[in-house]
Amino acid sequence: MKHCAKWVVCAALLCGSQVPFVQAQSVARGGTLQIAVDQSPVGLDPHVATAFSTFVVTGQIYEGLLDVDASLKIKPLLASKYVKSKDGLTYTFTLRSNVKFHNGDPLTAADVEYSMDRVKDPKTASPLASRLSAVKDIKVTGPLEVSFVLSKPFAPFLSEVATIAIVDKKYVTGGGDLQRKAVGTGPFSLKEWVPDTYVQLAKNPNYWAKGQPYLDALKYNIVPDASTRQVGLQSGTYQFLPNIDASLAATLKNAAGIKLIKSQDLSYSLLGVNVTRKPFNDPRVREALNYAINRPEIVQGVYFGDAVPAGPIPPAVKQYAQPVSSFACYTHNPDKAKELLKQAGYPGGVDFSILTFNTIKTVSDAAQVLQAELAASGFRAKIDVQEFGSFVQNWRNSNFDAFVSLNGGSVDPDGQLYRTLISGGSTNVFKYADAAVDKLLEQGRSATTTGKRIQIYTQLQQLVACKGPLAFLAYGALYSAAQSNVNGFTPNPTRSLAAFKTTWLGK
Amino acid sequence: MLPFLTKRAIDLVVVLLGVSVLVFLMIRLIPGDAVQIMLGANTEVTPQQIAQMRSKLGLDQPILTQYWGWLTAALGGNLGQSVWTGAPVSREILARLPITAELTVLPLILATLLAVPLGILTAAWRNSTLERFIRFFTIVGITTPAFWLGTLFIYLAFLLFPKWATIGYVPFSENPTGHLSRIFLPTVALALPLLAGLVRILRSSLLEVLNQDFVRTARAKGLPERQVLYKHALKNALVPLLTVLGIQAGYLFGGAIVVEQVFAIPGFGRLIVGAINERNYALVQGAILVVTAGFVVINFVVDLLYALVDPRVEYQ
Repeated sequence: MKHCAKWVVCAALLCGSQVPFVQAQSVARGGTLQIAVDQSPVGLDPHVATAFSTFVVTGQIYEGLLDVDASLKIKPLLASKYVKSKDGLTYTFTLRSNVKFHNGDPLTAADVEYSMDRVKDPKTASPLASRLSAVKDIKVTGPLEVSFVLSKPFAPFLSEVATIAIVDKKYVTGGGDLQRKAVGTGPFSLKEWVPDTYVQLAKNPNYWAKGQPYLDALKYNIVPDASTRQVGLQSGTYQFLPNIDASLAATLKNAAGIKLIKSQDLSYSLLGVNVTRKPFNDPRVREALNYAINRPEIVQGVYFGDAVPAGPIPPAVKQYAQPVSSFACYTHNPDKAKELLKQAGYPGGVDFSILTFNTIKTVSDAAQVLQAELAASGFRAKIDVQEFGSFVQNWRNSNFDAFVSLNGGSVDPDGQLYRTLISGGSTNVFKYADAAVDKLLEQGRSATTTGKRIQIYTQLQQLVACKGPLAFLAYGALYSAAQSNVNGFTPNPTRSLAAFKTTWLGK
Repeated sequence: MLPFLTKRAIDLVVVLLGVSVLVFLMIRLIPGDAVQIMLGANTEVTPQQIAQMRSKLGLDQPILTQYWGWLTAALGGNLGQSVWTGAPVSREILARLPITAELTVLPLILATLLAVPLGILTAAWRNSTLERFIRFFTIVGITTPAFWLGTLFIYLAFLLFPKWATIGYVPFSENPTGHLSRIFLPTVALALPLLAGLVRILRSSLLEVLNQDFVRTARAKGLPERQVLYKHALKNALVPLLTVLGIQAGYLFGGAIVVEQVFAIPGFGRLIVGAINERNYALVQGAILVVTAGFVVINFVVDLLYALVDPRVEYQ
């Protein structure tokens, strides 16, 4: 719930399907990995979840047809291979044979069809539903073969659709409650969930990847207090803290017996504005806002230097991301900001309020640093820190002048930008509507070659970086902290913890 | 005695009713309802679907209808279901009750056992070095919040005894030593500020009693100082102590939220705060009702104890 619903990530690249090799010669098996997390999962249904605290658990239990690996490449998971038709309208997946759900039911093409139908069904109220908007038909062509027929080419199909979790048709239609129980095909199965205490997962002995997982169990201890998690890790009570914030990473950097596992993050902090309200209805004011922001200072002050200022596309998505140097307004220039404000008819500066919340430290810190930076250019901001539930309500209803938050990113530029910028888009809380931007977004989504898409998104980035409805602030480094005997965990910029299946405890 | 009991029972019902109305209204006044929170940042849902979910949860009914429905069910012993999980609220509450009861009773016992001798000591040896030291400690104790003590204890325990399991909670039935090892520090963290307060109350109330005529009479007729202190003065000085104990017991029973957070203990405090954050209406209402009932009952017990301690107090 902390991030926008789109953190489950995606790539439009048609890459080779090699399985990454995990060196297995010196792996120690068994043991329980003690993980400390700050929140209980909010229900376990992978099709309706929006909370990160749910994904860290369901990501071990459920799997999609394909997966995004640590280098953001698409790789096979439940599907052993897939074929795309020449016109780009049909994708045919072949499922692995002998995959079983945790209750023993075999995985079939009917489960895939059912899972997609369930996501699409308005009664499920799934945040993933719009991903299937281009899917016209799903055909089961064999017990282990399923085809997706699209109404028009949809470039991010593989990352957006093929990563949706597959659930057991027989179990769910038989009345199984996926919010409390979980039956998937993943390397770990749900054993016990004690509210506010822990969630325990046990090794799936029939996992399709032979020899995996190495651990016997994962235990997610729910520890709300950050300093307790820290001492717990240092004292050995816990062995793994996933996705810690920048200040804790700085504290643990030199701690004995602890290692930090770092990767790039696709999530970005942002300052969004309401373009239907004065003064931000004027693109010159939005440009001025960008000039007024000192991004390197935010990187230092909020992220302790462990972040990069960047544009609309995450720098980790190298193919598409434009260098920051190509956006003129990313150079801190208070005079220019004042000048633009003057041109827009605000020679005396502007007053507005920034809505934010305090459950993510980098977010509330960023709001404070911004307040100071903006004041120097005539943007007098009042910070309104709200409880998260109220924040979400106001955010959803576009009831703000401006807000500071963290958005989950995407490995595909369409996943990253479409819903956020298209007129009427589901996360376009800015009420932004720009015909040229809309056109490019549609083109980028249906273009079939990567070269063409790069061209489109380059243009788009130039359009929205300075005058768009949001100032992209920074992409932080993503840290997990572990005891030094935790091996085999490869961090993923998507924040996925799927690498627990190859994690092992040395001694 | 019987009329008194009846009166207190009626009090209990009135308080519970009043609190239930207040809680019912307040939780609904907080911006953002259960459906909004449930959807989180999920913006794919149409307004019709939101309306559907609201009506499924009965949130589209007029508030009086909602309250009446809840009240009639609650009177029948059904506190409703968790909005999120569909589990009966009573089950969630019962699961936390022993934990919170333990974190109420243990600190109280510990604090009381230490407070009585320390209180007597400070009153009897007024202005000695030891007394000044204890007084200094009580000031520090009163001004130090329990959660800070908790964090400090966890750090200290880690530095001094790295092998000591201090964080989290395991049921006594599963692992008795593990349970006690983990419950020790939170108990001390909760007991210390309580102890400091009790010592100060007992000291001042003892000093007051010691200046009264009957104490002078007792001394005049030649009773040993020990007997004057323990038999005559202490018994009379206990009444204010009981009052404070009763109030503190009520607070502890409501959940020592911050200490629960610090030590990762699943007590009442976290249950209630979590339920409020989730706008889990039935759970908030049920849990607060139980806490209120606990508070009222504890106060009732304190009233009975007054009569036991002080023969001048009589209930008719």
